[in-house]
Amino acid sequence: MTRFLLCFLLGWAFVAHSAAAQDGGPLRIEITEGVIEPMPFAVPDFVPDSPAATEVAGQIARVIAADLAGTGLFREIPVEAHIGRVSDFNAPIQFADWKAINAQALVTGAVSSSGDRVTVRFRVWDVFSGAELGNGLQFAGSRDGWRRMAHKVADAVYSRITGEGGYFDSRVVFVSESGPKNDRKKRLAIMDYDGANVQYLTDSASIVLAPRFSPSGDRVLYTSFETGFPRIYVLDVGKVQRRVLESKEGTMSFAPRFAPDGQTVVFSLEQGGNTDIYIMDITSGATTRLTSSPSIDTAPSYSPDGSRIVFESDRSGTQQLYIMSASGGEAKRISFGQGRYGTPVWSPRGDLVAFTKQNKGRFHIGVMRTDGSEERLLTASFLDEGPTWAPNGRVIMFARETKGARGESTLYSVDITGRNLRSVRTPGGASDPSWSPLQN
Amino acid sequence: MQTGTKISAVAHGLLLSWAFLGGAFRSDPLPYEVQDVTMISSEEFDRIAGHSATPEAVTTLSEPQPAPEPIAEPVVEPRPDPVSESVPPKARPEPTPPPPPPAPEIAALVPEPPSPPQRAVERIAPEPVAPPPPEARPDPVEREQVTPEANADTPQEAQDATAPEEAAAEIVTEAEETAVLAPTRSPRPAARPARRPPPAPETAPASETETATDTATETAAKTEDAVTAALTEAMAGAREATPAAPAAPSGPPMSAGEKEALRVAVSSCWNVGSLSSDALATTVVVAVSLSQDGKPQGETIRMASHSGGSEASAKQAFEAARRAIIRCGAKGFDLPVAKYDHWRNIEMTFNPERMRIK
Repeated sequence: MTRFLLCFLLGWAFVAHSAAAQDGGPLRIEITEGVIEPMPFAVPDFVPDSPAATEVAGQIARVIAADLAGTGLFREIPVEAHIGRVSDFNAPIQFADWKAINAQALVTGAVSSSGDRVTVRFRVWDVFSGAELGNGLQFAGSRDGWRRMAHKVADAVYSRITGEGGYFDSRVVFVSESGPKNDRKKRLAIMDYDGANVQYLTDSASIVLAPRFSPSGDRVLYTSFETGFPRIYVLDVGKVQRRVLESKEGTMSFAPRFAPDGQTVVFSLEQGGNTDIYIMDITSGATTRLTSSPSIDTAPSYSPDGSRIVFESDRSGTQQLYIMSASGGEAKRISFGQGRYGTPVWSPRGDLVAFTKQNKGRFHIGVMRTDGSEERLLTASFLDEGPTWAPNGRVIMFARETKGARGESTLYSVDITGRNLRSVRTPGGASDPSWSPLQN
Repeated sequence: MQTGTKISAVAHGLLLSWAFLGGAFRSDPLPYEVQDVTMISSEEFDRIAGHSATPEAVTTLSEPQPAPEPIAEPVVEPRPDPVSESVPPKARPEPTPPPPPPAPEIAALVPEPPSPPQRAVERIAPEPVAPPPPEARPDPVEREQVTPEANADTPQEAQDATAPEEAAAEIVTEAEETAVLAPTRSPRPAARPARRPPPAPETAPASETETATDTATETAAKTEDAVTAALTEAMAGAREATPAAPAAPSGPPMSAGEKEALRVAVSSCWNVGSLSSDALATTVVVAVSLSQDGKPQGETIRMASHSGGSEASAKQAFEAARRAIIRCGAKGFDLPVAKYDHWRNIEMTFNPERMRIK
């Protein structure tokens, strides 16, 4: 009986309290469950100010739409479905027309052309609240550079809607492959992030491996077997000039990567059957040894602040990931799952490490926190390897090779959530991608 | 093995046969002689049949039952209510129905008589004179109380005479008291003053119908009188009524189901797919005012507070929340209109913690 009374009193007190809480102030509710779906957006063709700008205006709008839709975070509403027409960049937007087709974001713009000069103006609108996101912005450049201007507009739109930086105005250097597996020709190539504007940096006379962009995006480190032994070269992308980094005779150096300062290179050096990690000042050629274990230590990658290095080592018996100070010293193991881990790459944001994992005959691209927690495998296939981060740390590009003697390697990109796995269009086969930072 | 199985089979067969034949399963209890019950004769059967016939008649009895219901129609009571609204003097009969408050006072003075019968007498009152005598009986009880107080001899009689008068007067005063108390304690008067303006014009035509040829000034004067009378009543009852008035939201509070429906409605439009990971770590509280048709008023949507992220990420999170509210509220949220005071202003907390990695 006392229990009953107690329960009754407690219940009454609760009801009274909730009723009292209701009396003053607004109704309060908490929403913890939402939906994850691409945001519908519309990019009507930009308004040309002259007939000469008509073609490029349409092209720019299409590239912007393709950039945004390619992220998987947005879904374009095709132009054919548009009800409203934007014929004047400065005219007020008829939001009802865009609400009717459920466009949540709207990008309007205008293109003016004078001689070889092209100017792009644009605005981003939140359709349902009828407000502009940010202010109008303008880019100017040469007519040939219209794709870059489109990418820059897309970056700005992406940034204003998502709140994080874009990655569209960036390039990717990779190894272009042709021929069968047993006689494969490899040469360095560079392209826009979306596969456009491919240019070749080397010929296919010798095998090249593992190109890596410098932090400023103007140079590329890569490994070449030109002399029969793997050597590290530095290539100036703008001038297409290269030079070899100093190395001792009878040693093999490979897996180079720039430090965030752009002056130091960290790489692996094999000497007498033992592979360790070294750093080299790129101007003076002075080297410093960071690891001295009898195991194979390789694939080093700097943290964005340059204070630490993540690398792979088989010192425990199997290939695992370790983190050490940038000045060397004791390394701490961070990977403890089943299988073998390799090719770690530190995220530009500094919070994650991407890696290749081999387990039970399959390869995965995955990410984990820098302390090894929250490991998440994003892909699974016959052979996935060589992850590289987009400049905003949101997307990973990697190489996927298909099975068989005629198998071909192609590039893929995937969001760090594991969604939006997409093939990157390249001429022929491609492997070993390295993503540049955003261009200036 | 075969011999063993044979032996086992034979042994089991013997055991089962013994069990069935030997009566091991006959657990039947001793048979009671129930035959006495079956010995009913035809006469008894007829009697039973005769009894069964009477319950059939009950159906006919059940028909008149609905008749008493209309007799007890409570519809009669509401009639005085509208009359009292239009005409103030008739408001006095109104208070008579709610005499519960004075009841305890009667009980204190006169413990014997139950209060309900008295009420019935008052209503039917005017004709029957018989009820008063029983009321007089309690008077001698009061005399006893009065006599000890008055020590003098001669004044005692005079007091005795006054005592019954007071008892009778008390009944009347009780009615008056109820008239005063009723509007003060009932919650209705608190709500009605707000709606007074609309009914006021209604009373005017009513008065016009009564006095068809009266001038407009007279009707205006009457309405003024009615208003002043109503105001005085309200003012008289304001002392106790005012504390109930400030409770802003009227009507019952929002139920958990109604809140959940609103939560689900907004959730279905809250798209966090395009939010940065920083914005996904930011909880924002968005305040919004709704119109009576359940539509959010765009200009009232604002970020009340945020936590867990930078200003920039909070801005993105707020914009996503704003889109959710506007999109799903475009046709109006399905909310009970009667509880508008409760959901006029809403604070929604958008917590993306569970949406970060999915």
